[in-house]
Amino acid sequence: MLQLNRRNFLKSAAATALLAGTGLPALAQGEKLKVGVIHMGAISDTGWEYFQAQAWRALQAEFPDQVEVTVLENIAQIQDCERLFRQLSTQGHQLIFGTTFSQYASLKKLAPTLPNSHFECCAGIDAGDNLGVFEGKHHEGTYLTGIAAGRMTKSNVLGWVGAFPVPQVIYSLNAFLLGARSVNPDVVLKVVWANAWVDPAKEKDAVAALVAQGADVISGSPNTPVQGLAAEEKGVWSIGSTGDFSAYVKKAQLVSFELDWSAAHIEAAKGVLAGTWEPTNRWRGLGDGGFVKMTTSSPDLPAEVAAEMATAEAAIIAGTLNPFAGPIKDQAGAEKVVAGAVLPDEEIKGMTWLVEGVQGTLPSA
Amino acid sequence: MSQFLPILLATLIAGTPLVYAALGELITERAGVLNMGVEGMMVTGAVVAFAVALTTGNLWLGVLAAMVAAGILSLLFSVLAITFRANQVAVGLAMTIFGTSLGSYLGKPFVGMALVLDPSQAAGGFAQLPLVGLIFSAIHPLVWLSWILFAAVWYFLSRTRAGLALRAVGESPTSAHAIGYPVVRIRYLATLFGGAMAGVAGAYMSTVYASLWTEGLIAGRGWIAVALVVFATWRPERCFAGAYLFGGATMAQLFAQSAGIGVPSELMSALPYLATIVVLVLISRDAALMRLSVPASLGKPFDPQG
Repeated sequence: MLQLNRRNFLKSAAATALLAGTGLPALAQGEKLKVGVIHMGAISDTGWEYFQAQAWRALQAEFPDQVEVTVLENIAQIQDCERLFRQLSTQGHQLIFGTTFSQYASLKKLAPTLPNSHFECCAGIDAGDNLGVFEGKHHEGTYLTGIAAGRMTKSNVLGWVGAFPVPQVIYSLNAFLLGARSVNPDVVLKVVWANAWVDPAKEKDAVAALVAQGADVISGSPNTPVQGLAAEEKGVWSIGSTGDFSAYVKKAQLVSFELDWSAAHIEAAKGVLAGTWEPTNRWRGLGDGGFVKMTTSSPDLPAEVAAEMATAEAAIIAGTLNPFAGPIKDQAGAEKVVAGAVLPDEEIKGMTWLVEGVQGTLPSA
Repeated sequence: MSQFLPILLATLIAGTPLVYAALGELITERAGVLNMGVEGMMVTGAVVAFAVALTTGNLWLGVLAAMVAAGILSLLFSVLAITFRANQVAVGLAMTIFGTSLGSYLGKPFVGMALVLDPSQAAGGFAQLPLVGLIFSAIHPLVWLSWILFAAVWYFLSRTRAGLALRAVGESPTSAHAIGYPVVRIRYLATLFGGAMAGVAGAYMSTVYASLWTEGLIAGRGWIAVALVVFATWRPERCFAGAYLFGGATMAQLFAQSAGIGVPSELMSALPYLATIVVLVLISRDAALMRLSVPASLGKPFDPQG
């Protein structure tokens, strides 16, 4: 990784600004493809940004001699992101990654105006002019972890700590319960909203509240190992959702899945190197080249449950099992998906309702 | 009613950092100094305490280190705001930005590490005693030490000569100076105490409450403490009760959600700030009330040569 400080950055920016041509020039022999990544948070946060960083690390490992990655982290203000996206482009970075949904609107606006670079945004909604987007099907991961939860619960009460009620979190927790109910129809899921992306202390309190209500398997949308540690303290199971926290949660982590964006970065770089890059809309779950990866499972997970999960995983990859296949009712008992149908992707991405068996409300927007 | 005990315990746990930070800030403000750097001092304290407790395995060394680290920040604040009489609000905000960034920087190597301390170790030799050992295991020593702190602060302000001197400095530094009180030194000590308590609050957050360090751990609790002092109209007993009120509000809404009782959780999250605004409006409406509550020289620099 290039060591960047402001002075060097500005110097080289000025130099490359002079050299910048129009259109994507083909790389000269021996010249490296310059890739730029802007993180809005700190990479060390063990959560979202960390997995984004794992992706460009994988890209570097894949093309050690052909790719050079420039990384900027902790650019919290979107205005600064915009300025730096422009700067990276004028510096000759031909492939530039945004790491969060918060950068999507800016990139949508900027990408058409910066034809010297191609842009990719993680968690963006839709591909645009010169902008590709990629996002993981979190619900494929939570459906599988739900199977483990449904089998392991003794109280038939599961708990979910939600950050904010955005569609991504809503479809994750819905699929979690659907997975659990696929093996144990009596299970209910209690949901508590923390109303914060990162507030570890509040996450811990939310776990305590759920356990007090009888929940004995806790999952959620955490960005820290706190939920797992809190569950361990209370003597209940926790599930690593979008992150494997077994390094910290020594005993209580039942299973986990991770987000793996390596394929997104590597494919985009290959496209740019070959001159075939197109703005695409990649929404992938499990399987080869996918963005969702089942990681660890506890030694206490019975073999037959692991086998059940593996069977379901194979079926999801083969396309014979869809977590949102009907019949599915919402909390009020209204049929949302009829038997034999599956919920279209667009409706999953924009989900604003909870499935039957979820106990909790969506904070009114 | 089986719900009640977990909520009560959770409230104690959630209120404790606010008790430390707000009582510290209360002493600072009663001396006429407005320190808005509490949030930053808490972040720095949290990281330092976590790092020290993790490497030494001793909670109390961590707490001590946090007091020193946050104390250094408040010393820096004092030099700028008391000695050089810079604008206290600006310096305080700078301290929050500095302390938060310093915390992120120092904390990088420790992100996500779990701190496992033997709970009996916090109690030292007391754990061996029959009844005391039981109390120690149920309620963390840092929790009941905050009660002792409250009693001490209350006694100091209302029953001691030194407390009277501190209040005099906050109300009218010119008069206090005229009758021979060392105004600048008293303000330094009050700010140092406030900083050290913010350090303890941070230490509690990282070593006891969450038992890990990650960015965003303090999540605005320093600001809630500053708001709490205003909410309490600069009175220790109201401050103490308010800490549990604000801590309890968060807990109650989490428990209500999990029990399926519909409460607007976003509103509850904003409650401390809303309550403070209401109190401010109430005391501002009445000039007499305002005079009774706000230390008259709050935020105003004092020049001993002036």
